[in-house]
Amino acid sequence: MWLEVVLIIIVFLSVAILGNSRLKTIIQLFALQSVVLSTTPLLIYPSFHAIIIAIVIAILKGVLMPVLLFWAIRHVSIRREVQPLIGYATTLLLGGVLIGVAFLISSKLDLPDKGISNLLVPCAFSVIMIGFLLLVSRFKAITQIIGYLVMENGIFLFALLLLEKTPLLVEMGILLDIFVGVLVMGIVVNHINQEFGSASTINLINLRE
Amino acid sequence: MVFTVYFCFPSVFVNLEDGLDKMGIPVLLHLGVVLVLSPLLLGIIGKTKACLTGRIGAPLLQPYYDIGKLFRKGNVYSTTTTWIFQAAPIVCLAAVLVSSLLMPLGGLKAPIVFWGDILLFAGLYGLARFAMVLAALDTGSSFEGMGASREATFSCLTEVVLFLDFIILSCVSKKIVLSEMVQGNALTSWHLAGPALILMGVSYFLVLLAENARIPVDDPATHLELTMVHEVMVLDHSGWDLAYILYGSAIKLFVLGSLLVNILIPSYHLSPFMQTMMFSGGMFVLSFGIGVVESCMARLRLNRIPQLLIGAFVLALVGVLVVLLKGA
Repeated sequence: MWLEVVLIIIVFLSVAILGNSRLKTIIQLFALQSVVLSTTPLLIYPSFHAIIIAIVIAILKGVLMPVLLFWAIRHVSIRREVQPLIGYATTLLLGGVLIGVAFLISSKLDLPDKGISNLLVPCAFSVIMIGFLLLVSRFKAITQIIGYLVMENGIFLFALLLLEKTPLLVEMGILLDIFVGVLVMGIVVNHINQEFGSASTINLINLRE
Repeated sequence: MVFTVYFCFPSVFVNLEDGLDKMGIPVLLHLGVVLVLSPLLLGIIGKTKACLTGRIGAPLLQPYYDIGKLFRKGNVYSTTTTWIFQAAPIVCLAAVLVSSLLMPLGGLKAPIVFWGDILLFAGLYGLARFAMVLAALDTGSSFEGMGASREATFSCLTEVVLFLDFIILSCVSKKIVLSEMVQGNALTSWHLAGPALILMGVSYFLVLLAENARIPVDDPATHLELTMVHEVMVLDHSGWDLAYILYGSAIKLFVLGSLLVNILIPSYHLSPFMQTMMFSGGMFVLSFGIGVVESCMARLRLNRIPQLLIGAFVLALVGVLVVLLKGA
């Protein structure tokens, strides 16, 4: 039961991220989501392996990445997503539709039943979908990074099905990759800002010599 | 006043013909509790807000004084208004009073219980709002017409969420009667349907704030152009009519709040005394919570309010999906 509550809180937080326009709040919500996410391995499969993963995720995604993103928005001094591609209300409605689709898809999937919880797969899909939606519907590079990270949180939820089988080294490798990815993106945001005077990726649609 | 009595006590009139049997006394007791206690919630909210901002604030009983003061005054009617304007506050108060009869309050069972009464519950609030919107249009003021249109727009969004929440509740409890839905198997429902109940609680709390014109949606404290949703509709009312409206909104907050408390605090299997204690504690915590929300948030910009309500809609939708998936 606690696992399901945690899963629902994770979906709730991604909906909240979707409906928010302040970058600071979005990053804080993401950090909270990651900390909540870090408790899931412990609830499914309490072991040494799970404890290490939980601690690493809480530190990396709950503290380090948000600090990095805060540094990035302070550097480029943007506060909020001014002009999203689709309005916030429409995005939220689309998010609701996507969550419905996620529940529908996962009811059709023929996964081997691990006896964990039948909410795990739908929630993982919902979070992945919402991450996608954030990626495609926002212009600011920071919001897109958050979208990518939310999507990654969803993928992590999905990978929980295979928690026992995955070696610790592989998980750590994935987490390191994501961290480096976010680091690079943070620097890229800075460069976009220096080049164009704003951190909007809409400036990146033209090719130049 | 005769109107009010007639609207409020139809069942009493019916039952008086059979002698004062089982029905009459519980109805009067229920109405008495609602009428006496509901302005206290506004007092607690006001005191919480004052404490959190470092003021002493108005006394806890200030809403009672306000309503009493208005009852001592006379009514002033504009010459452009018709009987609709005078009837609306009475209809509004009567509708919310009848709706309170469908709601169990702690140890007090709901006096009126029948199959499908959730539709009546939602419909009575629709009726109250309809009367207020008509009265606002009746004044002929464009300012009030604007407030009426906004109220109608937001209520379109809140009602959908309210019904989705009812669907979740009835799926969880497998009942379609309000007092059985909230009490049916609430003690066990947290284990079976905790996630859906959390989603329902959050989305219903947003509906509660929107329906009662509290802060993220509307500011109840000012009567200026800033609050252009609910307060603007009652600008032309005075004296007794305004007292009815204020009393009606206090009762609305009490009844809708008690629905949330009834759902989230499972106390059905306890003794009546303990139920009442749990219920009172829950109501206190709820009004404290509303006060905290109001102290730390500013009113949302008007075009962001639909966004908030659509967010509530999405949460309720996820709740319905979860309930359907779990088959609880």
